[in-house]
Parts: sequence; C-alpha cells; structure tokens
Amino acid sequence: MVGLTRSGAVASLMVALLVVVGCGGGGGGAPQSNTPPGTLEVALEAEPPELDPNLSSAYVDRQVMASLYDRLVDIDENGKIVPMLAKSYDVSDDGKTYTFELEQGIKFHDGTPFNAEAVKFNLERYQEKDSVRSTELEPVKSVEAVDEYTVRVTLDRPFAPFLAVLTDRAGIIASPKAIEEGGGRISKNPVGTGPFEFVERVRGDHITVKKNPDYWREGLPKLDTIVYNGIDDENVQYQNLRSGELDLIDSIPFVEFENLQESGDYRVSVVPGLGYQGFYLNTQQPPFDNKALRQAVYRLVDREAIVKAVLRNVGGTPANSPFSKQSFAYSKESDSYPEPSVAAAKKLLEEGGEPNGFSFTYKTDPSPASQQLGQVVQNNLKPAGIDVKLEQLEFGTLLEDSSNGNFEALALGWSGRIDPDLNIYDFVTTNGDFNDSGYSNPKVDRLLNEARTISDEGRRKELYTQVMEILHEDVPYVYTYHSNTTTDFAMQLNVKGFTAYPDGILRLADVDKKQQGG
Amino acid sequence: MSEAVTAEGSQTQAIQPRERRLAGFWRRFRRNKLAVFGLAIVAVLLLTALSAPLIAPSDPRAQDYALTLQPPGVGGLMGTDSLGSDVFSRVIYGARISLMSSLISVGLALLVGVPVGLTSGYFRGFWDEWIVMRVVDSLQAFPFLILALVIAAVLGGGLGYAMIAIGIGFVPAFVRITRAQVLSVRGRDYVDAARAIGTGHTSIMLRHVLPNSLPPLLVQTTLAMGYAIIAEATLSFLGLGAEPGEPSWGSMLFQAQAYLTSAWWMAFFPGMAIFFAVLGFNLLGDGVREALDPRTYD
Repeated sequence: MVGLTRSGAVASLMVALLVVVGCGGGGGGAPQSNTPPGTLEVALEAEPPELDPNLSSAYVDRQVMASLYDRLVDIDENGKIVPMLAKSYDVSDDGKTYTFELEQGIKFHDGTPFNAEAVKFNLERYQEKDSVRSTELEPVKSVEAVDEYTVRVTLDRPFAPFLAVLTDRAGIIASPKAIEEGGGRISKNPVGTGPFEFVERVRGDHITVKKNPDYWREGLPKLDTIVYNGIDDENVQYQNLRSGELDLIDSIPFVEFENLQESGDYRVSVVPGLGYQGFYLNTQQPPFDNKALRQAVYRLVDREAIVKAVLRNVGGTPANSPFSKQSFAYSKESDSYPEPSVAAAKKLLEEGGEPNGFSFTYKTDPSPASQQLGQVVQNNLKPAGIDVKLEQLEFGTLLEDSSNGNFEALALGWSGRIDPDLNIYDFVTTNGDFNDSGYSNPKVDRLLNEARTISDEGRRKELYTQVMEILHEDVPYVYTYHSNTTTDFAMQLNVKGFTAYPDGILRLADVDKKQQGG
Repeated sequence: MSEAVTAEGSQTQAIQPRERRLAGFWRRFRRNKLAVFGLAIVAVLLLTALSAPLIAPSDPRAQDYALTLQPPGVGGLMGTDSLGSDVFSRVIYGARISLMSSLISVGLALLVGVPVGLTSGYFRGFWDEWIVMRVVDSLQAFPFLILALVIAAVLGGGLGYAMIAIGIGFVPAFVRITRAQVLSVRGRDYVDAARAIGTGHTSIMLRHVLPNSLPPLLVQTTLAMGYAIIAEATLSFLGLGAEPGEPSWGSMLFQAQAYLTSAWWMAFFPGMAIFFAVLGFNLLGDGVREALDPRTYD
C-alpha cells in the first residue's frame, strides 16, 4: 500500500511537471518539416475504422476514402455539386430519372476498366439490406447500364438530395473484381479509381497510400505518398505539427488558433462547416412536454457566450438553425436568435405553471468542450431559477439514451451534409430516424416532405425558412452553434495547393509538398 | 470486594502504559521533521476546507465570460479558467470535495473492512478461508484504480458513486490488515485469560482484540486518505466523479487539458493542490508508522 501511495504522489508530481514543461514550449524554435518532400504526414482525429464504403459509418473514414476512391459527383469549394466520375448528368423533369454520362478510359488500381457495369454493381451493392448505405439510397428503384458509359438511375419518387448523397460514400465506385475477390468486402484491400493506391494499414497507428501513376486527371496527384495518422488528442497533433513530425493536422486546439494564425509559421485554413450543435428537449415527458418551459430555456441560452467561452470565438459561430452559411437553405432570418432575456423567460415560466423555475437533467458526452458547454448552459439558466443538473455519459451510451428517448435534455450535434434536407428531415419529422425529442407537427412534416421533392433551391429555401419559424416557436431542439471543427486545418508552409471544402473532406490530389523553404 | 480490587488494579495498570505510549509516540513523531511537515499540510488542508467560504474571494461556480483565461495576478491570485471562474476560489473549494470524498470513502472502507476482518480473523474456519479471503483476493487481483473505474462505470457517474467505488476499492486492504492483526493477537495470553473467565466473543473482539490492532489500521487509514484524494481526482478527471462544473481538483485538471500550453495556471494550481495533499497524507502516514513501530522504541 505504501508503494501504491508513493506512486500516487509521483503521479501528481508528474502532472505538475507536465504543466511546467508545457509552459516551456512557448518560445519554440523555427518550425520545419522533418518529413521528406513528396510525403505528406497527416493527422486525423481518429484512425479510420473502415475503408469499405459499403460498411463505413464514421466520418473520419471519408478522409482516407477520398484518396482511394472517386465518386460519381463531387462538390466544389462552395458546396456546389460538380462532375467527377460522371462527366455530366441529367435529371428528368419529374425528378425521378437521373442519367449519368461517365468519363471514359479510367482504370481501377487493379487494372480493370471503370464503366457503367461497375457503377451498376456498386450502387446495387449499396442497396442491399446489410449495407450501411441502404437507407441513403432507399428512394432508388433501379439502376440500368444503358451502354458502356451511360447509367440511368430511376427513383420511385422525386428526391432532391439524391445528387448530394452521391457526393458521399454512396457515390463511391470501387473495383467489382476486388469486391468479388474479397468475398463482398474490401475493408483490407480497398481498390478504387482514386488518385492514391492503398499500401498498408498498421492498426492503431497509420494508413499509408501511394501515388496512382495512371490517374485519369492529367498531372495529378502531385504527392508520392500520404501517411494518415490517427491522433485523437488535438494537443498532441498541435505539438507534432510544431516539432515538424506532421505536415497537416485536422484538429487545432481552439485556444492556440490565433497564435498559430498570427505566427505566420503555419498555414491555417478554416471555413464554416455544414454541421450544428445543440440539445434536444424531450417533448414526450415532463418537464419539456410543456411548450412554455421549452421556450423559457430557448430564451435564456446565450449563444454568443458559448462561442466566446467554449469555442474561443474560433471553433464556430452562433446558430439558431441547422443550416450554416455554407448551405443554400441558410437565411439570416431563420438563423438569427433572440437576445437572452431573463424577464421574457420568467414570463414564460409563469405561463408554463412554474413561476419559480424548475430543474432538469442535461446529458452530454464527456469531452472537455461539451462539458464546458453544459456549464455555460447551466449558468445561463440559473438566473431564472432553472436548475440544470449535468450528467456526462460515454458517447455510445449517450447515443443509445438519445435514440431511446431516455432523457430530459440531451446534447448531440450533427456533422452536417451538403443538402439541407439531410440536416433537418430525419430530425424533426414525425417518427424521423433522429427525431429524438419525440416531436410531431403535421405542418412541419408537410413542408419538409414538399421541400425534398422539388429541385428549385429558391423555393426549397422558402419552405425551410417557414419550417424554422415553427421550430423556433415549438423548440424541440435548441440550436447553439455551427461548428468549424470538421473544417479547420493547419499545415506547414511548404504544403502547397490546399483547398478547403465545406464538408471538411481532404481532397489531396492537388496538394504538393516542396523541399523546406520552397 | 476482592473482585473490585482486582478490577481497579487492572484498570490503573492499563491506563499508565497507554499514556506513556502516547507520550512516547508523540516524542518519536516530533523528531521526524518530514512527518511534522506532513501533519502541517494536512492541518492547513483541513482548515482550508472548513473555512472555504471565508477564504475564497468569489463563488467558485461564478462565470465571467469577459474575464476568461486571465493569468495569475491580472485575474486573481491563481488566474481565471476558460469560463472566467476564479481558479483560487475553485482550488480552495476543491479542498472540501477532496477531503470530504476521501473521508467518506475511507470511512466506508473502515466500516466494512474492519468488522469483516475482525470476525473473519477471530473465528477463522470455512467462512474466513474460503469466502472472505477468496473474495478479498479476487478483489485485490484487480489494480485498485481499475476496480474503482469498473464500479464507478457500473454504478454511474457522480461524486456519491465515486466515493462508494473508492471505498469498495479500499475494503480488501482493511480486511487484510485487520485480519492479520487479529491473527497475531487472538492467541495471546490476555485473550485466553478473557475467554477463560467467560467473556463473550463480541466483548473479547471489541475490548481486547480490536484495540491492539489499531496502530497498523491508523497508518493504513492515513495513507488511504492520500490515495483516496488521487482516486477522486482520477475518477473526476475521467468524468466518473464530480459533476462538471463542480470545483473538484480532478475535474479542474480535466478542463485544463485543452489549455496546457496556453493557460498553464488552470492545470498547475489544482495539480499542486493534489500533489501537496497527497504528499501531506503520505508523510503523515509514514511518520505515524515509524512512531508506532516497536523497533524505533527508545
């Protein structure tokens, strides 16, 4: 026991030392990359668990997949849908038939040709029940290879987000031969048409890809090798960038952001993301089956304080809708929020029959940022007599409680998708997959169902604005901020040609890394 | 009449050596400078915890978003944290949470461990050999922290459960120590004598066996206090202890993680508080052990 307590004392001393060492790092030397030119050492927030697009459910998988595979269509830096493997596409007037003209002469990494049959093979594979993609392609009725380079997809109803879905994993075309050889699965031997070929994966450490010499886009890719390192601690990423062990990192500690930008020693890229954060209020049980109490909470949350204190003004922007500025559905009107007001909240509390306030439990994940966000919300609500009890749950448990409706309030955000439908439909329509508040409003259902069937963006935006007006009144969910965390990167100065995309996915074919100082 | 005389006689005999022993203990303890230093730290810690509202300049939960991450000096004695709370006030109140949770968890371990060890060592037999000791062995097979983590994870988060988890984690050590002492004492002549004059088991255990098992328990309790502080901080750091926002040293460290390179004071002061608190209890425990050790008798 004495030995144990001694080690305890040593542990606490080490904590103190760690801090002191941390302070010493402030001075720093001239930054320099220690990695060879032509090789890019990338840090990802986690090691991608799955490289088969058929089975992938983690966002981070997409970072590596973007190098290995091409998709039928892609987005540009403004979030507009652009051709990729399909050099053009045509949508029928009734919005049910999509015809894709494919690029010709492309080969998969295993030498087999890319053609309409390959597209049909992949899309049909994604439609099978055991595919993680099947719900995304649920409106697809049939896929037809019209000729060698033409594919026709028929939907059973108009579905406006369809092309946006194809910019993600459901649009990835992998080698049918490799899939067959792998027994229907290419997790270990991913073969696509992408700018880089798979080399190796060392579990718990890194994934390496190398240049595809026969890549179909002229002159690309520029790099020889990319090493993707899974590093879940943003401080570790940051320190390794500074020591030159990493060339590009995907997580920047908020508080270091300005230093990093102002130092001029690194390039920092940040664009607004497509996602949002906030918390559900459970409309199916007390206290939040009472609309006035939901509104009271809504009127007290100080979004600017959250962005300032928790995100250090760099991790995101205040939000009151699921649509960030990157989305065509964004409107200033629906994303603006009322000034926090204790007086207004008290009036609502009286209306709701709880003039002296009430208390509720707010469930959240245990990350430092989420905890602090909870504390700010707690502090915001206190002046009106609303007592918030914070409960932190491991992420898996949190997701479970959320989908089971086992909560009063629960903080859970969304990483965001290109099409606005995918940011709102399943979250607020009656019995929607992610409608964890148990909210139901027939008018919202009707407007959102209409919005997903029409293709005119202006008209859709009008519908979404109407929906937001209702949601601001009903408050099944309190939006707090649009997160930048998936879309901010820092890199060494000799990393050239980097472009940021609103979906936060690294497209590295155009990126090059010159000799130090180049 | 003769009976009363005997009783009186034995009483005076019992008191004198105990007083002498206490004086000797204090003399030996005092000679150990480190032990006195440990005692001083623990005393300061106790005083701080008791008078936290008088010492702390502000509410440890108060947030001021206009004054976040202020360095020590500008933002109070120990600066402010990322939510603009005063770090000094939080460290002061943290002493309360730390001491309270270690007192309760060690108290729980004593409450369970001592009676179990006492009866099990006194009666021996199947219950002792095959039930109690096997359970204790299997509990001890887990590293203490893993055990506390598993218990905390099963019971759920929150400081109350963390204290129970830590307490359960300590039980085996207290059972073992009590039992070992009981085994060495139960065969002594005075126990046999008590039994011979017809004293009941409970009375023998409480009046003759337990008092003579106290010194090692005292040492163990002091050391366990220190370890309980670490354990509470660790569980809070891992999100299984104090509620977020509570001024616990462990959760302060957790919150400070993201600011290690930019706001060192957020981690440094709670880290130092944990360090000194644990150091204090360890030095005190070591001092008590040495002062009680028969080999250091002068």
